[in-house]
Amino acid sequence: MENSRYFYNIVITPPRDLIYARLGYRRGKTKIDHRQRQEIENTIEQALSIIELKGAAKRIQIEKNTGRKVILADGTDFDSNQLASMLGDSDEVLLMAATSGSRIMQAIRDDTNAGNLTRAVILDAVASEMTDKALDWISSFYRQELIRQGFGLTSRRYSAGYGDLDLKYQKAIYDSLGLNKLDVDITEAYILVPEKSVTAIAGIMKLA
Amino acid sequence: MDARKRILSIVDKRILILDGATGTELQRRGMPRGACPEQWCMENPRIIKSIHRDYMKAGSDIVYTCTFGANRIKLGQYGHLNARKINRKLAELAREAVGENILIAGDIGPTGRFVEPFGDLEFEDAVEIFKEQVRGLLDGGVDLFIIETQMDIQEARAALIAVKETCDRFTMVTMTYEEGGRTLNGTDPQSALVTLENLGADAVGCNCSTGPEGMIPYIEAMKPYARVPLVAKPNAGMPRLVNNMTVFDMEPKTFASFGKAFLKAGVNILGGCCGTRPDHIRALASVLEGKRPKPPRKRHISALSSPRKSLILGIGRPLVIIGERINPTGKKDFQKELIEGKTTTALRLAREQEAAGASLIDVNVGMPDIDETETVKKVICALSPLVSSPLVIDSASIDAIEMALRIYPGRAMVNSISGERQKIERLMPVARKYGAMFILLPLTDKELPATSRRRKEIIKDILESAKAAGFDRSDIVIDGLTMTVSASPGSAKETIDTIRWCTRTQKLLTVVGLSNISFGLPQRKWVNSAFLAMAVQAGLSLAIANPSNPELMAIKMASDVLTQRDKDAGAFISYFAANDNTSKQERATEKKGSPREDVYISILEGNREGIIECLDKAIAVGMDAYKLVNELMIPAIMEVGEKFDRKEYFLPQLIASAEAMKKGFEHLKPLLEENTSQDKGTILLATVKGDIHDIGKNIVALMLRNHGFNVIDLGKDVAKEEIIKAIKEYNPFIVGLSALMTTTMVNMRDVIDLANKNGLRRKFIVGGAVVTRAYADSIGALYAKDAVEAARIADRLRS
Repeated sequence: MENSRYFYNIVITPPRDLIYARLGYRRGKTKIDHRQRQEIENTIEQALSIIELKGAAKRIQIEKNTGRKVILADGTDFDSNQLASMLGDSDEVLLMAATSGSRIMQAIRDDTNAGNLTRAVILDAVASEMTDKALDWISSFYRQELIRQGFGLTSRRYSAGYGDLDLKYQKAIYDSLGLNKLDVDITEAYILVPEKSVTAIAGIMKLA
Repeated sequence: MDARKRILSIVDKRILILDGATGTELQRRGMPRGACPEQWCMENPRIIKSIHRDYMKAGSDIVYTCTFGANRIKLGQYGHLNARKINRKLAELAREAVGENILIAGDIGPTGRFVEPFGDLEFEDAVEIFKEQVRGLLDGGVDLFIIETQMDIQEARAALIAVKETCDRFTMVTMTYEEGGRTLNGTDPQSALVTLENLGADAVGCNCSTGPEGMIPYIEAMKPYARVPLVAKPNAGMPRLVNNMTVFDMEPKTFASFGKAFLKAGVNILGGCCGTRPDHIRALASVLEGKRPKPPRKRHISALSSPRKSLILGIGRPLVIIGERINPTGKKDFQKELIEGKTTTALRLAREQEAAGASLIDVNVGMPDIDETETVKKVICALSPLVSSPLVIDSASIDAIEMALRIYPGRAMVNSISGERQKIERLMPVARKYGAMFILLPLTDKELPATSRRRKEIIKDILESAKAAGFDRSDIVIDGLTMTVSASPGSAKETIDTIRWCTRTQKLLTVVGLSNISFGLPQRKWVNSAFLAMAVQAGLSLAIANPSNPELMAIKMASDVLTQRDKDAGAFISYFAANDNTSKQERATEKKGSPREDVYISILEGNREGIIECLDKAIAVGMDAYKLVNELMIPAIMEVGEKFDRKEYFLPQLIASAEAMKKGFEHLKPLLEENTSQDKGTILLATVKGDIHDIGKNIVALMLRNHGFNVIDLGKDVAKEEIIKAIKEYNPFIVGLSALMTTTMVNMRDVIDLANKNGLRRKFIVGGAVVTRAYADSIGALYAKDAVEAARIADRLRS
C-alpha cells in the first residue's frame, strides 16, 4: 500500500462550458448580451485567480469484495452494492480528493454577505467545476502511470453520499488520505470544509 | 560515425524508426502486473534482450533501454536505492542484445512527482535525480537519451538540463498530451517545442496517451516552427474495454497505415508506445520504406513560451506590449511585500496586465536590501502556473537572471544584454545555456551613444559577440534606446532612425521602453502615444509599457491596422468590442428609451448600477413610486422568471435582475405609502442541520423578498429545535427548507415531524440538489425545483 500523494498545485484549463452549463446556460437557447457576458467572464477570472487547487490520492489493495461490501487492505470497509459492483473487476482502488481551497469560499461568503449574489453564484459554480476537474486531473495522472504497470482505471468513480454509499464513508477516505495536510477539515456530519472539496473512489483494473 | 551524425544522416534520408512498447511487451512475455520492470528485467535478462532484438529485427534504428522508471524516486518505491547501478546494468543488457548494429537510447521517464513550481519536488533535486540516472546510462554505454512520457514541462526541463550538464549526447524529449491537446499541466505542443528546442533538445515530440490518429495533429501543430526533427510514438490505438479488461487492440497493419499521414504531417522519427509490438514496428517500417520526410525548418524563428502559451514574434506582426508594472521602484507597499517574501501583488499585476492586453510580462524585483536571486525565484514560481504570457526577466543582477532562467518553465527573454564587458562575458553565456532570447541594449562600459550612427556600430559589435556565443539573430531584440526628449530634444529622432535601420536593413526585431521619452513633461501620455505611433511606423516590434493605459492600447491597436499588421482589422474590432471605453457609470445610465422603458429594461437586464438613476429620472418626470413597482418592476421581474423558465436566461441573469429589483425596491421604499406596503407575509428559510451549503437558499431568499415577502433567513446548519423556536416567534405562513446532501436531506422530515408534534401546522417548501418531488411528497412538503418556482408557490399559497 502506497502512502498518500499530495498535489499542491494542480493546474488545469478552466472548463468554461461546464461552468456555464452548471449556471443553467443552454446553447442555442440562452441569450447573453455583451455587458452580461463581460461581467460573467470577469467574475470567472476573479474566481480563477483565488482558487488554489490541491489534491491527494492513494492506491489501496482490495482485501475482499462480497458484492455488498468492499474491504480494503488498510481495514476500511464500504457497505455499498453499487460500489462493490463498480469494483467487481478491480483488485485495487484509487482513493482521491481535491479542494479549491479556502480563499474562494471566503470570497463567496463575502459576496453573499454584501448582497452580491450574482457574483457569489458564479464564484460557486467555478469552484465546483474546477474541483471536479481536479479529480479528472488526478485520474489522468494515475491512468498514465498505471498503464505501464498493466493496469487501467475504471472510467467511473464513486463518491460517498451518492447512491447507496453513505456519506459517513467520507470520514474513512478523509483519514486514509490525510486531508488535513491540504487544510481540509471534516464536520461531524461528514461534510468537507472548505465546502468545495470532494473525495472519490475509482477502481484499478488489469489491462488485457 | 557518432550517434548524432548517424541520427541526422538517417533523418535526412528517411523516417528513423524507433522501437515499440517495452512495458506492455514485458507483461505479454510474463512479467507480473505491478512488478518493478527494471528489477524484473535484471532477473530475466533473456526476456528483455529478446524484446530489444525483436525490435531490431523488425526494423528499429533505435531501441530504448528498459529504464523508464529507473530513477531514485520510482525505484525507491520498490526498495531499490542504487539507481546508477541499475541503469548501467540495463543499458548493458540492451547493448548485449543489439550490439553496435543499431543505437541505444537511455530512457528517462517521469519521477511520478511534480517539480516546482507545479509540485513539491525542488527543481535542483529533480536535476540531481536525473543526473544520477544519466550517469548510470552513460556507464552502460548508451548512444543517446530519450526523455519521454513527460506530463510536466518543468520535469522535462529538469531532465534535459541534467543530460546537458552531464554530457553532449543527442537528446530527444517527448511529452504526453491528454485529450484536448495539452499535457496534464496544460502545455500545448507548440509551447513545449519552443521551450525544449531552445533549451537544447535535439528532437522533440510526443508519445503515449493516444493512438496514431490522435497524435497526428500534434505533429502538424509543431511542424511549422520546428528546427529539430519531430518524434511520434503513439499507442496501439485508444484503450477499449473488452470483457471488463482494458485493451489496446489496433492491429499492426492498421497502425502502420497511419505512417503516411505522419509523414505528411512532418514527422521525422516514428515508433510505437503502449500496446505496440515488433509486428507493429515491422509493418510501420515497411510502409515508410524509401519515404523521405519533410526536413525541419532551416530558418530560426523568434518565439517565447510559458508553460501554457507561446508567442511568435516577427517584423510585420502586431506590436507586442511588454507589461512593465512588476517593478518595485517607487512602490512602497510592493517593496515591503517583496521583502516579506510575498508575491500577491506581483501576481495581481501580472494578471491585470494580461487582461489589459500585454502579451509579455516584464519581471523586475530589484531594489536595495533584498536578496534578488531568492526573490526572483519566488516570484517566477508564483507567476508560472497562473500567468499565461511568457516572462521577460529584467535585472541588473546576473545571478538573479540565471536563477530566473533556470527555474522558469518556458522560454523567457532577458532584459537586457549590453556591450558592457561583464554582460558579454558572463550574462551572454547564461542566456545561451537556457535558450533565452535577449534585448540588446546598444551601450558599452564607456559610452551611452547619443546618435543612431554610434548605436548601429555598437549593435554590430554586440551581434558579433552574440553570434560567437551561439545566438541566432532571431534570438535578439534591439533596444532603440529611448532618451528623454525634455533633456535631449533630438533623441526621439535618433531612436526612430535606429529602429528603422534595424527593421529595414538588418531585419532585426526592435523594442523601446516607452515612458522614458516623456520624463519631465506634463501630459506625458500624449507624448508617449505620439512616440509609439511614430516608432510603429518605423517598424517597432515590441514596446515596454503600461497596458492599463487605454490611450496607449488604442494607439497600438490603431497603428497595427494602419501599418497592415492587423490586416483585416479583426484584432482592432475585437479589442474595441470588449473594451469600449464607456465607463461603468455611463453604461449604467445609457439612455435606452423613455424613463418608463429604462426602469423596465434595467430590471430585465439586471442593471444594478443603473436602476437607481433610472428610477430617479422616472420620479422626476412625475411617475408614482407605487406605479413604478407594480406596473414596471414587478412585470419586468415576472418576465425575467419566464425567460429563466424558457432557458433564455440562466442563473446569473436571473439573480442580477433580482438584485436590481431589490436595489430599486429599497430605493423606493420611503416613497411607498404604508398601506401599499409590499409585505405579503412572512416566510422562514433554513438550510437543515448538518448541511453547510446555502447558496441555493440565498437565491430563494432574494427572489421571495422581491416578490414582497418578509423573509426570515435562519442560515445554514440549523437544528430542528431552532427552526421550531423561530416558527413560534415569527409565525411564518411558509417554512422553506434546503439541503444539498442525501444525508442531510433526511433532517427535513425531522423538522416537519417536530413541527407537527408541536401543533405548528405550516406549509413547508423543500428544495436542494438532491431533493426530489417524490421525496417532498413523502414528507408532506411542497417541492420547488428552483428559486423562481419557490416564489410562484409562495404567491399561490398567499392568494
